Amino acid sequence: MESKNKIREFIIRTFLFGSKDARLADSDSFLETGIIDSTGMLELVSFIESEFGIEVGDTELIPENLDSIERLAAFIERKKVASAS
Amino acid sequence: MEFTKDILAIDAEKVAGQITDFIRDQVKNYFRRKGIVIGLSGGIDSAVSAALSVRALGSERVHSLLLPERESNPVSREYGLLCAKSLGVACEEVDITKILESHGVYAKRDEIVKKYFPGLASGYKFRIALPQDLLERDRLNVYHLEVLAADGSVLTARLAHDDFLGILATSNIKQRTRMIRLFYEAERRQYAVCGTTNLSEALQGFIVKYGDGGVDMEPIENLYKNQVYQLARYLGVPKEIIERTPSPDTYSYVASDQDVYFCLPYDTVDLILYAMEHGVPKEKVAKVLGLGMEQLERAWRDMAHKHEATEHFRTMPPSPAIGS
Repeated sequence: MESKNKIREFIIRTFLFGSKDARLADSDSFLETGIIDSTGMLELVSFIESEFGIEVGDTELIPENLDSIERLAAFIERKKVASAS
Repeated sequence: MEFTKDILAIDAEKVAGQITDFIRDQVKNYFRRKGIVIGLSGGIDSAVSAALSVRALGSERVHSLLLPERESNPVSREYGLLCAKSLGVACEEVDITKILESHGVYAKRDEIVKKYFPGLASGYKFRIALPQDLLERDRLNVYHLEVLAADGSVLTARLAHDDFLGILATSNIKQRTRMIRLFYEAERRQYAVCGTTNLSEALQGFIVKYGDGGVDMEPIENLYKNQVYQLARYLGVPKEIIERTPSPDTYSYVASDQDVYFCLPYDTVDLILYAMEHGVPKEKVAKVLGLGMEQLERAWRDMAHKHEATEHFRTMPPSPAIGS
């Protein structure tokens, strides 16, 4: 839950001009809704790497891992589990 | 009309005539100028645009420019000269390296590259490129820095957001500097600047705003790349230019348009763009192109995103409606 909140806060602050009215469901695709383009994805990757202390490999740069709040949160969780084991 | 691989076939003689009439009319009646200035890149688009301009106005009213900089491919100059000679047009060469140096283009770029490869010796070549496996897997368009070191080794690194933007912004100064020079040469002659953008580039936003996109007219902007090739053959563009792999020639390490932007061959890009513009069902497109539905969906999605993201390239700067 905490991951999702941090991601949401970052996206609203960075891509939606901090709009308090922004409606962003956990499952909304960033790319399909036009909130983030592929350049923006790089910014998002930099954020999660620094915020959550994970390293995102080239092969992990796929929509399945990064293209919604819930996908990102699940990906971060998987990365944390993998690094802990 | 049935969607087939030949859907983009044109009557080259007829199209050449239409564009020639357009250029003559625009220069004479709309711009009220005396001729055309055109930059020759050594590529097919500028060669075709120049050939059409000569047909429209005569070679004495077409002034061509070669605008190389220190990272340009020498072939661009060679083929640019070949094009000018074959058309019998005046050709002036202006090296823009010093102007680019004054903007810090090379220094700022070197600074970024050396962040990734700190011990890199001078004399390296570099480019930015996208992964070329667009059809094979779902992935994002994330640019990599690719460096050809002086010892022949190739180094790659994924670019961080700020560094990608930094490289893009410095590189775009090259095209914008060329635009400034073209307009200088045009204005002092009372000529118009002829653009060389084709429809495939325009629809996908593969242009630099106010760079190569900053021109007076775009005679081939309604032709897909495939159709530009058809016109080139009809117009007798030198074989070397027709056979050259399309490249933006922006980076010192040679890269094709496909490497840098499209991730697909032009033939595929053109047919998908046509299908998008004309509402051809995806199933039909996949069948004609010999692609699986999943592959076509990936290409379609990627191209649709590029089109949307660059919509502002194709329109005038927006302004607010003011009511009384």
